[in-house]
Amino acid sequence: MNVIFICLFLACAVALCFINPENFLSALLDGTSKSATLCVALLASYAVWLGLMQVWEDSGVTRGISKLIRPVAKALFKTDDEEALSCISMNVSANMLGIGGAATPYGIRAAKALDKTKNAEFSSCMLFVVNATSVQLIPTSVIGIRVALGSGNPTDILIPTLLSTAISTGVGIALTFLFLRDKKPPFLHKKSKKRGAGAK
Amino acid sequence: MNVVFALIIPLIFILSFLFAIIKKVKIYDSFVEGVKKAIPLIVSIFPYLASITMLSTLLDVSGLNDLLVTWLSPVFSFFGVPKEIAPLILIKPLSGSGSIALLSDILEKYGVDSYIARCACVAHGAAETVFYVGAVYFSGIKRKRLTAALIISLFAYLIAVVVGCALCLIL
Repeated sequence: MNVIFICLFLACAVALCFINPENFLSALLDGTSKSATLCVALLASYAVWLGLMQVWEDSGVTRGISKLIRPVAKALFKTDDEEALSCISMNVSANMLGIGGAATPYGIRAAKALDKTKNAEFSSCMLFVVNATSVQLIPTSVIGIRVALGSGNPTDILIPTLLSTAISTGVGIALTFLFLRDKKPPFLHKKSKKRGAGAK
Repeated sequence: MNVVFALIIPLIFILSFLFAIIKKVKIYDSFVEGVKKAIPLIVSIFPYLASITMLSTLLDVSGLNDLLVTWLSPVFSFFGVPKEIAPLILIKPLSGSGSIALLSDILEKYGVDSYIARCACVAHGAAETVFYVGAVYFSGIKRKRLTAALIISLFAYLIAVVVGCALCLIL
């Protein structure tokens, strides 16, 4: 990210020097004030969903979700480690709500716990893929921004988002099973793509 | 059909609160407790948001954004993805807050309910920040195959973007 930031920044700055240098500072300030507006929209959205999540946690809904996810996680990650499994469950449920910030602490703990287990090579990769492609039930930040910008129907992206993330997770899991469990020739590539998409 | 989607969120709240009442949870206290966590979360992402919005405004003003989009448009239109969301697709695997900043730019520019905007929303949700997950979750963990996991994740992400944009046309 550092390299990309500095390259793009310098490229823009140099380009602006040729076009109209007086716009440089105003562009920077303009950008920052935009981000402040954006933060207000996001703060509103996070407040609502984190509030709801706390109610879930206190009423035991979160624990129920983890219990539901656990057998699936066991089969997927091929591990019996208690700590890893419970961290994974919490991590996945927070990710599904699109609150990446809440998912991160559990993800880190799960990665550490998995690293100590026997099957670490495979299960770490699976954790990576599941997190990186995570299924989104409710993309809370996106909905928050759309509401703030006055969308007529802010939730009409729910179904396409759900389907497309389900597909990406499906493809990811299928490919991980295919390539990372034991070595197999790469010509099976296409087939697994279909299977992953079909399964969801 | 749209009414059904619009009902999802209020129903989630009603059901959750009813359940909490049954479980004898002090809902107000508990809700306030959760809302409190929003402030540190925002404080922690603001610096990243601000830097990336600065960069994206610079990209716009300097005309490099248009240049990038023109270069990439043949690739994207081949897959049926609107070329206007190309920068978003490229930045998403690298930075979550950065992509949120770009997303809100796109929504403002092309209208929040336009086809382009909806594609952008779906593309934004299509994957998490792949490199961030790699850097944060697995810092200090050395496993040979994690690189392969990274490539798989990126591949799955691109498929999801293509499919998501197609879905936006139908749904």
